[in-house]
Amino acid sequence: MTIGSGSVVESVEAPEARTERARLTPEEAAALARRAGLEELGVRPGLLGYAREVWSYRHLVWHLSSAQAWATNQNNYLGQLWAVLNPLLLVGSYYLIFGLLLKTRGGTSNYIAFLTIGIFVFGYSASAIIAGSRAVVGQIGLVRALRFPRAVLPISVTLTQFLVNVPAFAVLMVMIPLTGEPFSPHWLLFPVALVFQSLINLGLAFYLARVVNTARDSANLVPVGVRLARYVSGVFFSIPHYAGYGLVSALLLYQPLAVSMTTAREALMDQYPLTWGSWVAAAAWGVALSVTGIVFFWRGEGRYGSN
Amino acid sequence: MGATDVADTTTPSVVCSGLDIVYTVFGAKQKGTDTGGQVPLVERLLTKRNPVSSVRKVHAVKDVSFVVNHGEAVGIIGRNGSGKSTLLRAVAGLMPPTNGRVWASGRPSLLGVNAVLLTGLTGAKNVMIGGLALGLTPRQVRERYDDIVDFSGIGDFVNLPMSAYSSGMGARLRFAISTAAAPDILMIDEALATGDAEFQARSRDRIAEIRRDASTVFLVSHSNAAIRESCDRVLWMEQGRLVMDGPTDEVVRAYEQSHRRAPA
Ligand SMILES: Nc1ncnc2c1ncn2[C@@H]1O[C@H](COP(=O)(O)OP(=O)(O)O)[C@@H](O)[C@H]1O
Ligand SMILES: [Mg+2]
Repeated sequence: MTIGSGSVVESVEAPEARTERARLTPEEAAALARRAGLEELGVRPGLLGYAREVWSYRHLVWHLSSAQAWATNQNNYLGQLWAVLNPLLLVGSYYLIFGLLLKTRGGTSNYIAFLTIGIFVFGYSASAIIAGSRAVVGQIGLVRALRFPRAVLPISVTLTQFLVNVPAFAVLMVMIPLTGEPFSPHWLLFPVALVFQSLINLGLAFYLARVVNTARDSANLVPVGVRLARYVSGVFFSIPHYAGYGLVSALLLYQPLAVSMTTAREALMDQYPLTWGSWVAAAAWGVALSVTGIVFFWRGEGRYGSN
Repeated sequence: MGATDVADTTTPSVVCSGLDIVYTVFGAKQKGTDTGGQVPLVERLLTKRNPVSSVRKVHAVKDVSFVVNHGEAVGIIGRNGSGKSTLLRAVAGLMPPTNGRVWASGRPSLLGVNAVLLTGLTGAKNVMIGGLALGLTPRQVRERYDDIVDFSGIGDFVNLPMSAYSSGMGARLRFAISTAAAPDILMIDEALATGDAEFQARSRDRIAEIRRDASTVFLVSHSNAAIRESCDRVLWMEQGRLVMDGPTDEVVRAYEQSHRRAPA
């Protein structure tokens, strides 16, 4: 019922086929392409070249992130007001559950500040990790329509989540003095803590975006992992107070998500003096995760969008 | 980038060699094997290789090879599902080849019917993001912004999210964005079909202009008239294979005859 393909090609093509249209061997094709100065598609560039290419797309990263951050809260009547209302509602409900009902305030002198910092700082990582894991598979339309280094996507998703959370951080800075924390020059370190945390989030986004692109099922595990992390990272309880000072406690305290909260609390709360340990750990996690993360992500370049 | 200096009509701009593309499809229910409860459950579970998930491979492009020169306009014809869009995606560098290799000059720009821009964002934001992704600087996009919006003819809708656009409006905006960057290789995948007659005439002019700059044009269309008008060479795809490659008249005539011989 379908046409006999071979015969059509031969009967019509053979007499006046132009030379280059005669079937080339792979070697001939490669030689021809090289002579014409063509670039091979679907192959991975070198790591340095890749990094340079990503840098040349920085404007795309910025416009993609800011537009999507703005669009996050645009599809309802209160619009951007939700960016502030959401975190406030969250703090209210957590205070009710953990502060008044479950009483996990042990070891903290200003539980509201402790809890608010925990919720907002962890909330940023949680949303960045979940969105980051879907950075490639969730944008498959864009990936199949436009050619750009795919590392743009995890970077842009992380930046989007940062921008989405800026109102929450502003709310935090208003709430901290209201909870009775005395003003301190250490507060200026809070943005530094956010930079380290963003690097950590970026690194995790690089890793997860590639893993989820290859093994799609893993996307379902990410929210579970994040929920688990929420309960062991000291969002609403003080880890040393409940886990002591042993090895388990140290592991819990120095994993990247907990360290982000520790640095934020040391910057903002009187009860927690600055310690070298947490800031060095945060910086080291941030640099290590984002550098190894982009290498890991780069090794998958050329395969994004193939399924 | 160098390629334009040597651009004449005898240097290749696309070389495609033994190209294979295989899609992995998730969530495919294998309807064909399900005979509506006549097969006993146990047997069904035993015969199905993987009862938990259903992943299938679709071999969309099979061993396709061709060479296209600068300034050529190539039509691609074939039935639905014959692999035309997939072939274009591979030549645009958007789908990595499963087998075979593809080379191209400069930056190919693909314009598909469902080349999703970001539907939650306004047309204006999409102009910026699309332009940047095509390699323009923010300044160049701003300079060309008015031209792009004028050419698309969508007027004030440019400040509404694209989810509020009709399919024709979306296609016009995508066409305007894709051609604003003066691509080395322009690929149009059925994107003109949804526009009205006036827009189709204008886009034909724009395509002719792009070809004059020694760029290569690929056009997928189900309108043989449009193919005859814009293309001097045609590739005919059938079930993922390239069955014929030659001058427009011959290939289109053979394609039309195949309908008559084997009505679908
Ligand atoms: N995103 C996709 N995922 C899985 N299969 C696909 C996808 N796109 C196309 N296919 C399959 O690949 C084959 C070729 O499709 P396509 O290239 O869109 O054909 P055409 O453009 O000629 O209509 C079809 O069998 C189709 O089902
Ligand atoms: Mg198609």
